[in-house]
Amino acid sequence: MTLAVIIVIAAFLSLVCILGLAISRSLQVSAGHDLAGQIRPLDVEAFRNLLNPADDAFLRQRLSASDFRLVQRARLRAMAAYVQEAGRNAGVLIGIGQSAMATADPRTAEAAQQLVNEALLVRRNAGFALLKIYVVLTWPTSGPAASSVFDGYQRLNRSAMLLGRLQNPAVPVRVSARP
Amino acid sequence: MFQPHSYLWHYLWVAPNLLLAVLAVLLWQRGLHKQFRGFVLYAAFQAVQWAVLYPIDLIPSIPAENFWRVLWLSLLIQSLIVFLLISEIFADVFGHYPALAKFGKYLIRGAGAILVLVATVVAAQAPIDNTFWLIPASHILEEAVNVVSCGLIFLLFLSAAYFRLTWRHGVFGITLGLGISACVHLATWAVMANGGLADKRYVLDMLNLATYHVCVLIWFYYLLVPQKVATKSAVPLPEHNLELWNRELERLLQQ
Repeated sequence: MTLAVIIVIAAFLSLVCILGLAISRSLQVSAGHDLAGQIRPLDVEAFRNLLNPADDAFLRQRLSASDFRLVQRARLRAMAAYVQEAGRNAGVLIGIGQSAMATADPRTAEAAQQLVNEALLVRRNAGFALLKIYVVLTWPTSGPAASSVFDGYQRLNRSAMLLGRLQNPAVPVRVSARP
Repeated sequence: MFQPHSYLWHYLWVAPNLLLAVLAVLLWQRGLHKQFRGFVLYAAFQAVQWAVLYPIDLIPSIPAENFWRVLWLSLLIQSLIVFLLISEIFADVFGHYPALAKFGKYLIRGAGAILVLVATVVAAQAPIDNTFWLIPASHILEEAVNVVSCGLIFLLFLSAAYFRLTWRHGVFGITLGLGISACVHLATWAVMANGGLADKRYVLDMLNLATYHVCVLIWFYYLLVPQKVATKSAVPLPEHNLELWNRELERLLQQ
């Protein structure tokens, strides 16, 4: 009977989750959220520095094993925060891309499709990377595990820029600082 | 009122199945059966299953053992149809996104394998507490099938929410109905299969029937009432982000 009680509790929790997700989806559809305002800028340079393997090697050489683990834990926590933000931004861009996919302009629709695909990959990789980071946190001797998120985020930047330019040609988009 | 063969019992067994048969016919007439093949098959099968089981239950000359034999066989077929329908929903939700199509396949296969394993363990723990083995076996089969379907549907909702995927209106309704039905049925069959509430099983039966009725109404709403025209317009990307992205691209070009 203990097993039955466990199953009943699991079934009840699943039902609550399913209903909650269904209600939140309905609310999102009817409210039409301010998606663009939800994007939080990410300091890509700092994110890149955290992933630099040369920094890892340098710290490993200079610090004792226990100090290295301490520093590495702090770096991994910071990396987790960046990965989380990148994944979150990718989630918002999925919504923006999907709303642009219905447009009549085939070039914009294609760019939106590309943006959605890139954003989905970043979100998927962010999930896996977070998992890896939390595993590595228990014994932080190995290097960072988020380079796929960083690479994907760079591709996502380019797709978002292309879609932004197609959606809003009036806004001057600089591709280089030099004229 | 909640006893077997009461008016409410008859209503709750007859009405949803008739409604489901009507829904299958309407979907066919409107040409929607091509979009919802799995669901039309499921609805038609449920209606046929009722059309066979209901008279067997009512006609006194048919021995009770025959009811359980037919129920057992129909449950096996129903399970296959439900899994077919769930895999069709997975393909529909993930299939529109090339980046996730493969991931969706791995997800359903991996999660399906784990859930089958869990269902086997759960089924093995349940007691055979009746001399006519088909009665507890039917309860255990229902429990095991609902472990798998509830788990898969829960995973589907969770992954779609995580990736912020858009659902087709009808597919969302079908999944919602299946999810509610699987969760409630899992709980009730788990209690029955493990010998709980032995003297008040009719209450659990009634709960199952009532839940099923609610789910049929949900399917009616989502499949026949047209979706409100989305007011969603293209969301322009904010300029400050474009600036940021520009800086990043600029850096890439200079590398």
